[in-house]
Amino acid sequence: MTRRHATGIAAAIAGAMLAGTMLAGAGLAAEVKAIAILTPEEGTDYGWNQQGIEAARKAGEITGVEVMVAQGLGYGDVRPTLRELAEEGADLMIAHASGYNTAAPEIARETKVPVAIVDTPEALTPGLIADYTLSGHEGAYLAGVMAAKMTRTGKVGIVVSGEPPSWNSQSAAFALGVRSVNDKVEVIYAVIGPAAYSDAAGGKRVTESVIAAGADIIFGQGNGSSFGMLQAVETRKAVDGGKVLFIDVIGDKTPIDKGHLLTSVVWDITPVYVAMIEDLRADRFGTRSYAIGLKDDSVRLLKTPQVPDDVWAEVMAVREKIVSGEIEVPAIFDATEVRKLMTRVEG
Amino acid sequence: MLTEAFLAALLYGAVTAAVPLLLAGLGEQMSEKAGVLNIGIEGMMIAGAFAGFFVAYHSGSLWAGFGGGILAGMAVALVMALLCVGLGLNQIVIGIGLTLGFEGLTALMHHFLFSRTYPRLPAAEALAIPLLDRIPVLGGALFNHPPVVYLAVLAVPGMAFLYRRTQLGLNLQAAGDRPAALDVAGVDVTATRFAAVLTTGAFAGLGGAYLACVGAGIFVPFVTNGAGFMGIVLAMLARGRPVWVLAGAMLFGICLALTTAAQVAGVNLPTDVIQMLPFLAVMVMLVLFGRRASLPAALGIPYERGAR
Repeated sequence: MTRRHATGIAAAIAGAMLAGTMLAGAGLAAEVKAIAILTPEEGTDYGWNQQGIEAARKAGEITGVEVMVAQGLGYGDVRPTLRELAEEGADLMIAHASGYNTAAPEIARETKVPVAIVDTPEALTPGLIADYTLSGHEGAYLAGVMAAKMTRTGKVGIVVSGEPPSWNSQSAAFALGVRSVNDKVEVIYAVIGPAAYSDAAGGKRVTESVIAAGADIIFGQGNGSSFGMLQAVETRKAVDGGKVLFIDVIGDKTPIDKGHLLTSVVWDITPVYVAMIEDLRADRFGTRSYAIGLKDDSVRLLKTPQVPDDVWAEVMAVREKIVSGEIEVPAIFDATEVRKLMTRVEG
Repeated sequence: MLTEAFLAALLYGAVTAAVPLLLAGLGEQMSEKAGVLNIGIEGMMIAGAFAGFFVAYHSGSLWAGFGGGILAGMAVALVMALLCVGLGLNQIVIGIGLTLGFEGLTALMHHFLFSRTYPRLPAAEALAIPLLDRIPVLGGALFNHPPVVYLAVLAVPGMAFLYRRTQLGLNLQAAGDRPAALDVAGVDVTATRFAAVLTTGAFAGLGGAYLACVGAGIFVPFVTNGAGFMGIVLAMLARGRPVWVLAGAMLFGICLALTTAAQVAGVNLPTDVIQMLPFLAVMVMLVLFGRRASLPAALGIPYERGAR
């Protein structure tokens, strides 16, 4: 064999290997058979956890992939669960809690199984880590418009069980929505604790204080703690002696409502998860962020019997203006900016 | 903004938040006096919270709920006592195991029983203390609570009396400091420690039941949110004195109320800074008073007759 022949054969082998690698890569990228979702609380909370799990299941049906659900994991260390799901064949693991933002990327690097995390846009890593910092701020703005139109006392409250970016943007948008209708309406803002997601007693205690301060409509953002908020509005009267109303987020608590649920900023995360699976198949996972909004109804406001028809019509007119771009609702994720806004509203 | 109604609501909330900590702290104090570091108190509280809510919801009686909470707390405490006092296993490991185990178990039970309906209890009926309840702001906040709150506060002098004036109190002290001496005196160290741990379970279970039935009016997974661990801190700070547990619990509750007040009043400070206040207060207490704290000499050490 001459030197030229040897070089030619080596080049052919290298070319074949390169082609094989590319094909294999394409094959790997296209192959998504199963996804997993991990949630800190049970998927029956009429909120963040339930919406996440239901969306994952719907996305699985749409894209034809198996969905593994690990729910009620708490807010501690989920590394063992992530490793287990990776071993069980998950091609994508959705870590559906901001508390999992450290563990999930670590396990993704360890197991090479892609993960999706929340509230960490800077963590985007092609092929490995995607972020879905979702915000229903457009819906929260509408809720603020509705609250401003319906408050009797001229004071509305925001109670949150933490300050993750998604909730910050909704708190800010709610306040902006209130101001857009009536800047005399005060917005009282209170955080239960640094991460009081399951602190139902804290939710009740803080909400009772906000009601005592004059709020007759509470915009509540919490997981388990939101049930404490709901309990507070059900058992306390407003300062004018009337009923206190509650605005929920993410889920639909209508089945357990006792007549105090004014509305909810409902999220549908299905399009986001479908897009993630498609991105994984198209080998562009981890290269972009995902969003939900009014335009495709992935964010919508819930109509309940507490909302008068004329108010609903006015709010829906504002919705059209947001969808058309006539009104632009900024997404304010920073807690400091949110607080500044509250102070201004209050002043 | 700082109206009488608002201030009263803040103080009322402070008391409501303090009661579970008080009960947990008093319970933990008894265990520690007897030489058992009861890390499992969070597990006893969550078991009490679930059982208390379950019984109160199905019976319609808050008192039955408190009874259920006490029994559930004692049941978890019995496991702790059997493993740690009876078999001499590591108290910290068993305590953590019990906490994690019962957090998981109650979350599972919630899933099967309540997770579709999320039942809530009506507001607990309050008992106004005549005349005192008419004091502006303070009256409504301090003297118009469900009777169990007054019982919890009355437990403080009761425990102080027990520790200072009774033979049982001395036995508990000896079981924690010099168990061998207690044994020589003819008192069963194991039985004394068993009784202390079971009493801790009763206090913790009642605290959990109060938290779920009165504090929240609902049971959700992990509802105790670390109240048991705060009880351990309070017990350690209190140096064996029940009144200091009460002071610490109230300080923590008031600080929690102040954090809400600061936010509602629009104090332009990062929320994280405001939220640090209760924990900062506890740390200041620790620095000021905790340095002189003396824990029982045999705390955390299993007793074995004749062992050196």
